[in-house]
Amino acid sequence: MAPDPDAALMLAFQGGDEAAFRALFEKHGRATMAFCQRFVKDPARAEELAQDVFLKLHQGADRYRPSARFTTFLYRIATNHCLNEVRRGEYRARPELDPGSEDGAPLDPDALPGPAATPEEEARGNALSRDVDAMLARLPEGQRAAFVLARFEGLPYEEIALVLGTTVPSVKSLVHRATVTAARALAHWSGKGADA
Amino acid sequence: MSRADRHVSEELTALLDGVLEGDARTAVEAHLAGCAPCRAERDALARALAVLAAAPPPPPPAAGFEQRFYARLAREAPRRASFLERLAAHPLRWLVPATGLAAALALGIGARRTGEQADLEVARHLDLLESYVEVASLDVVESAEDVDVVAHLDELGGARP
Repeated sequence: MAPDPDAALMLAFQGGDEAAFRALFEKHGRATMAFCQRFVKDPARAEELAQDVFLKLHQGADRYRPSARFTTFLYRIATNHCLNEVRRGEYRARPELDPGSEDGAPLDPDALPGPAATPEEEARGNALSRDVDAMLARLPEGQRAAFVLARFEGLPYEEIALVLGTTVPSVKSLVHRATVTAARALAHWSGKGADA
Repeated sequence: MSRADRHVSEELTALLDGVLEGDARTAVEAHLAGCAPCRAERDALARALAVLAAAPPPPPPAAGFEQRFYARLAREAPRRASFLERLAAHPLRWLVPATGLAAALALGIGARRTGEQADLEVARHLDLLESYVEVASLDVVESAEDVDVVAHLDELGGARP
């Protein structure tokens, strides 16, 4: 395994270096909140969940072993915590997706907001985000976790398997089934029918 | 759809994600060359991945994100004993001159102050801790921060008695 600077920070924190823990939070805190927002839509609740994750990290530092990358350890805590939150039933599947844009034309993903989005681009981006969130909310929890880790966090299948405590073939299946669901749910965004 | 087609269907996302290698990849690509339905499914999955890649990220947190966490951490995380408290509790603390220990105990034990405030108090009574070597040799130095305290006690604050 290539040297992991985050693992070094975590080991320093295990030795009592609080500055090392703060460095880890400042490096990963916001990304952890973004991850949590894939499970709970409310930004305030997502921030609380991210705080919970780092509090667990702070209080359970002795359990960290540098045999795996630090991010694998962090994602495992975050995934379990978010899935527990979803299981509490507070976040139910949204109503059926509203197909197409408001004017009925297929929406071009290339027209989605860039760094200087027009109001129209921003509105389309928000609409796509709502559809993605609705699609995620309807996935079974295993598929949702694997899909978020693969599609939005960019983890390789091997690391997803470590995070979820499963096998690579299982991750392949989870990611594929979720991607098929996504293809059907988001088909109107590419102007094509649902072929998958 | 045949069993072989279903099998290839299950591999299409892995193919698009670049995780298929060697013979597995070759077999799937060979199948796709002769199977229009599987090619259509692959293309639909590829379009979905493109749409997802174009989706905006979640909105950033409100200003003060880090400060709110540190405030919650201060409220909820167990407080670690300060360097002086660990020194005062050490069984070999007799190695430290008595007057220095008295000052350390008075300043360290029970003090619910920030680490910086405690360090400044020590700095005002530096000459009471005569042997920094003895202090440093006791196994109470647990972090780079503690080493810094020992090495730079005479630089903290400005007031000397």
